[in-house]
Amino acid sequence: MSPAARRVIFLFALVIMAPAARLVAHSMPTFGAATSRYASTVNELAPRLRHVSNMVAAVNFDIRGFDTLAEETMLLCAVVGAVILLRGSRGERDSDKAGVLPGRADIARSDATTLVCRVGGTALLLFGAYVALHGTVTPGGGFQGGVIASSALLLLYLGEGYRCWRNLIHSAVLAAFEGVGALVFVLAAAWPLAQGHPALDNLLPLGKFKDLYSGGAIFLTNCAVGLAVTGSFGQLILEFLEETRSPEDESEPNEADT
Amino acid sequence: MLPWLVTIWLFGIGLYGIITSRNYIHLVGCLSVCQSGSYVLLLGIGFKWQAGPPIFYDHPPGTPAVDPVMQALVLTDIVVGAAVTALLLAIAIQVHKRRGTLDPQHLRPLRPDT
Repeated sequence: MSPAARRVIFLFALVIMAPAARLVAHSMPTFGAATSRYASTVNELAPRLRHVSNMVAAVNFDIRGFDTLAEETMLLCAVVGAVILLRGSRGERDSDKAGVLPGRADIARSDATTLVCRVGGTALLLFGAYVALHGTVTPGGGFQGGVIASSALLLLYLGEGYRCWRNLIHSAVLAAFEGVGALVFVLAAAWPLAQGHPALDNLLPLGKFKDLYSGGAIFLTNCAVGLAVTGSFGQLILEFLEETRSPEDESEPNEADT
Repeated sequence: MLPWLVTIWLFGIGLYGIITSRNYIHLVGCLSVCQSGSYVLLLGIGFKWQAGPPIFYDHPPGTPAVDPVMQALVLTDIVVGAAVTALLLAIAIQVHKRRGTLDPQHLRPLRPDT
């Protein structure tokens, strides 16, 4: 189909869908007047029943914890899929040269970059751990903290270069993070089942409100997710950076040639 | 009213980008634009005037707060979106390796490459 034909079909669909979209936009509730009883119930009960001050964490890891378990599994599947797709001959060895575009200048890394990246990377890793650990108290949580911590790996790469970075970061460690995090979440769901309670029931001591340890099982699953997300995104970064290396030998057949 | 219109606009402009895209990386970016429409929609549904964040650290429990369920949903949305984007980019790398192009126009399945 030519681009022009596609554009015509899009315009056609637009003409049909525009009145429907207008109708939906008009029949939506007034903005800024949310009256969800579920939300007000959560806001009212969760601090008292679970001793957590971050309601989003309470929803994610306790009230709708089972959904998050599914989401966590989905994240794991997507990352495994991406890793399987990208795993190949290139970049596995730390001696591989970076792929260079002909005609583009190859500028050496300055000392200032290394310094800023070392300081910034360490601080970012700490900040990620802080955000993940305080997920039950202040804004943040395992997902956000995990992503922040894994982006610190990128800063390390920027400052140290590929070879040193590969010596620091091991794929097996990241895979272990990912797997252990997911496993802890599954165990947190299965353990109450074995005791005769509903899955993901909060059986741990709840801790003190506004304390680092608060929320019982919420704290545990939150940390598990933080670990899993750090591993998952670190693994993704590793696999994508391996793609920047020029291949040792082009073993993959090129379909266009055959 | 405005947030719903912004949602429709974001989704529409993203869809237009996907339809007219000539590069898979650009297409994945357009998909993210489509998806950000859902963030605006969810946060718009949960918003309440004169209400604080659903985090009772600075203000005590019982003060008005916006919908935490919607915020949790947006969090889920973002994480899943990031994972799917990574998967799509990995596929794009493989496509480029195998076929030497990222233009959807030249990548017709089951047909010889012209």
